[in-house]
Amino acid sequence: MERNKINQKKKTFVLGVLVMIVLVLLIGRVSYLMIYRAEHYTALAEELHERERDIKAKRGRILDASGQVLADNRTVCTISVINSQITEPQRVISTLTQTLGLSEEYVTKRVEKWSAREKIKSNVDKEIGDALRKEEMEGVKIDEDFKRYYPYDELASKVLGFTGSDNQGILGLEVYYDSYLTGEKGQILTVTDAKGVEQEDVGERREEPVAGLDLYTSIDLPIQKYATQLAKQVYATKQAKKVSIIVMNVKNGEILAMADEPEYNLNEPYSFIDEVLTLEQESVTLSEKERQDLLNKMWRNNCIHDTYEPGSVFKIITAATGLETGAVALTDQFYCPGYIIVEDRRIRCAKIAGHGSEDFIHGFMNSCNPVFITVGMRIGVDRFFEYIQKFGLYQKTGIDLPGEAKMIMHKKENVGEVELATVSFGQSFQLTPIRFMTTVSAIINGGTMVTPHFGVRAMNKEKTRIIDFSYPTTQIAVSKETTEAIRMMMEQVVENGGGKNCYIEGYRIGGKTATSQTLPRGTGKYIASFLGTYPANDPQIMAMAIIHEPKGQYYGGQIAAPVIRQLFENILPYLRDKGYN
Amino acid sequence: MATTQKKRRIKTEGRNSFDFVLLAVVFFLIGFGLLMIYSTSSYEAAIDFNDSAYYLRKQMISTLVGILGLVVTMIIPYRYYKKVDFLAYIAAIISILLLLTPLGITRNGATRWINLGIITVQSAEIVKLGIIIFQASYITRLGKSIRTTRGLLAFFIPPTIAAGMIYLISKNLSSAIIVMGIAVCMLFVAVPDYKPFVAIAVVVMVAAAAVVIYASGNDVSGAFRLARVKAWLDPESYSTDKAFQTLQALYAIGSGGLWGKGLGQSMQKRGFLPESQNDMIFSIICEELGLFGAMVIIILFIVLIWSCMMIANSAVDQFGSMLVVGVMSHFAIQVILNIAVVTNTIPNTGITLPFISYGGSATLFLLSEIGIVLNVSRLSKV
Repeated sequence: MERNKINQKKKTFVLGVLVMIVLVLLIGRVSYLMIYRAEHYTALAEELHERERDIKAKRGRILDASGQVLADNRTVCTISVINSQITEPQRVISTLTQTLGLSEEYVTKRVEKWSAREKIKSNVDKEIGDALRKEEMEGVKIDEDFKRYYPYDELASKVLGFTGSDNQGILGLEVYYDSYLTGEKGQILTVTDAKGVEQEDVGERREEPVAGLDLYTSIDLPIQKYATQLAKQVYATKQAKKVSIIVMNVKNGEILAMADEPEYNLNEPYSFIDEVLTLEQESVTLSEKERQDLLNKMWRNNCIHDTYEPGSVFKIITAATGLETGAVALTDQFYCPGYIIVEDRRIRCAKIAGHGSEDFIHGFMNSCNPVFITVGMRIGVDRFFEYIQKFGLYQKTGIDLPGEAKMIMHKKENVGEVELATVSFGQSFQLTPIRFMTTVSAIINGGTMVTPHFGVRAMNKEKTRIIDFSYPTTQIAVSKETTEAIRMMMEQVVENGGGKNCYIEGYRIGGKTATSQTLPRGTGKYIASFLGTYPANDPQIMAMAIIHEPKGQYYGGQIAAPVIRQLFENILPYLRDKGYN
Repeated sequence: MATTQKKRRIKTEGRNSFDFVLLAVVFFLIGFGLLMIYSTSSYEAAIDFNDSAYYLRKQMISTLVGILGLVVTMIIPYRYYKKVDFLAYIAAIISILLLLTPLGITRNGATRWINLGIITVQSAEIVKLGIIIFQASYITRLGKSIRTTRGLLAFFIPPTIAAGMIYLISKNLSSAIIVMGIAVCMLFVAVPDYKPFVAIAVVVMVAAAAVVIYASGNDVSGAFRLARVKAWLDPESYSTDKAFQTLQALYAIGSGGLWGKGLGQSMQKRGFLPESQNDMIFSIICEELGLFGAMVIIILFIVLIWSCMMIANSAVDQFGSMLVVGVMSHFAIQVILNIAVVTNTIPNTGITLPFISYGGSATLFLLSEIGIVLNVSRLSKV
């Protein structure tokens, strides 16, 4: 019995020691978890506990060439309530109802809703937000936020584009340069319980946002304003369908102005402008898709997104091709009886009576169709299409705006004499105004194919980060003689030819007119346009006006040339001051 | 005989062998438990019952009842239990059978409590105490015959029936394991052999390894317990269902660090770790008080076990010492399994941490068991 007892004591002791060993091992296990795995589990736990609230980064501004702000940010407030923190619900409801102009029912519902955070209203003016803050109501949160603001409403609307609810670029430069403008959002990391209720006692972490870079553009505010004003004026007086005016630097591709009437208000991009609604019968209730289609139509930039038949301005390219290939010389003599027969068709000249006997220079000045058809025939389909290719017309220009359209041209194998004839004077195919201007720039600047663009540099406010944009240029084979000849003939158009309406005393202006019938033909609808250059002998600036479907007079020389003259009269002295000569 | 006994009693009382260390440790653990129950439950209680002290108040009542139980069992001479050993076992069995009657209370799909009018009691807790008393007495009755195969079988029949019933009727595997574990520990002490226990340990480990290998290699999503094994092996892949609780406990433990976030500062208790005042309370202790706090608690349990061991070895008779061994085994098994589960050392199974986890019946019976141990210590020789 005693031995048994000793045994039992021993085994009790063994049991006790075994238990202690296991407990010590568990201390080891706990230590392992709390020391070596601490980082891992702490990170996982924080991820679980923390809710991120983004702090929007201030979006970069968009500025013109001289630093005038075209797109800015305005501080707005978002008002929200946290049910559990509200101490005076009645005061909160009545104050919010009055200040924010909301229905009491709407506010009450949100104030009384048990949720982590209930948004009452966003995009509230800062003044109202500040006033609410002074009320010092428990449970009412006023968060500041940025909203895009365009100080000039509809100026350059189709170039700048606008941003969406998250301040992301949706159209135009805003979307093209979105990655520069956006910046990096910051975060407020709030700790919440499992239901998402914020834990005020634990505090919050902030990661500060990095503001986006400001985008400096080549847009010149005074020129843009003036171009817009002119476009508006023509749009109204000629009751045109649309009017585009583009001003571009021939040497480097910088675009100084791009107006495209009718424009829309960038601060309210989703409200229809009158033109769209009156055109599309206001009374009809629109389906979501119809509405979106109409908005897209309103936002379209005709200079880039849409192609058109250039008409006679294209004779610049036909002339350059003819001269380059040797198909024509400046002194070649032609005879225009007012029409020309191509295969079985009779193609009329603009002057029904005919221009009679004329050399090539006068054919250009008179924009004589028979002359250019003859030149086109002499060039031939193969060489003509080879030059269309060489002059980059098949390519997009690469302009820094999204959605550029490509030229719509006949397939070479389908081009017969009639097609070749029409292409020679700029009809039966379509391209974008910007494509056309870029190719003409290359011909008259000595063969440099520039990339038309708006973006010049991106820079932060502190000027510590500067990104200068560079754009590819390519050389096309244009002889000096051809360049000189085209410059000379364009100047002649303005001095003595169809572009007389663009003549300005004391300035050497070059130009070319165009009047093309819209498709389908025979509806009496035209596109009148004029392309002007300055100085004519070594152009630096090119401006083009395109008037779609004007009422009354429709000749480019009569209605589009004066627009460019008015534009030049106003901007050339200013540009001279800026070093354009 | 009577005089020597009387003398001895006087002698021992004179030597004041009453174990104050044990009592102090227990009261510290209880007090600490109440603090942690308030800390872990107040956030959720405030939301659910609009009363942050909801669980604390209930647990304080349980604790008072438990202290009453402790006082009573401390006064009742433990030898008395030997006379009612069979009654204790029958009471335990009846308490399980009562679960099948309308008195049984079902919570979360398992029927584990019986309604005794003023209080509800968890049958398993009655069984644990009943088995400790019965097996202690049984060991003294079996004497040397316990070393025979028949005696061994006889020894295991009562706890196996009780454990089987707990498992089958109340679907409570944990308590069944604890009951069997207590019996095995008591047997371990009662017989001088080691080999059979080493053999049992090896068999259990091999079986466990086989289950683990089987579970990790097969799709066991259909089998509830096997799926738990799989979740145990890779908790982060089962984070949304099977291993949810375990992983949340690990988050709590891991984010505690050396010194913890401070009392009351746990994040995991704020709805992430469900019912954190129950089985998983140790993880919140880790989170709030750090490795330091966790070690203090484990060391206190070591002291508790050590005290029990000393009392068992100084008991005047085998029955007294076996009673204490049973109680000690009970504490040890629960503490070890609880901390092992919380730290994902073993697969998840619901076991509370003695004196600290929330729970009325457990508190009452644990304190009563302490009372018995103290009673044994009062009558012990030094």
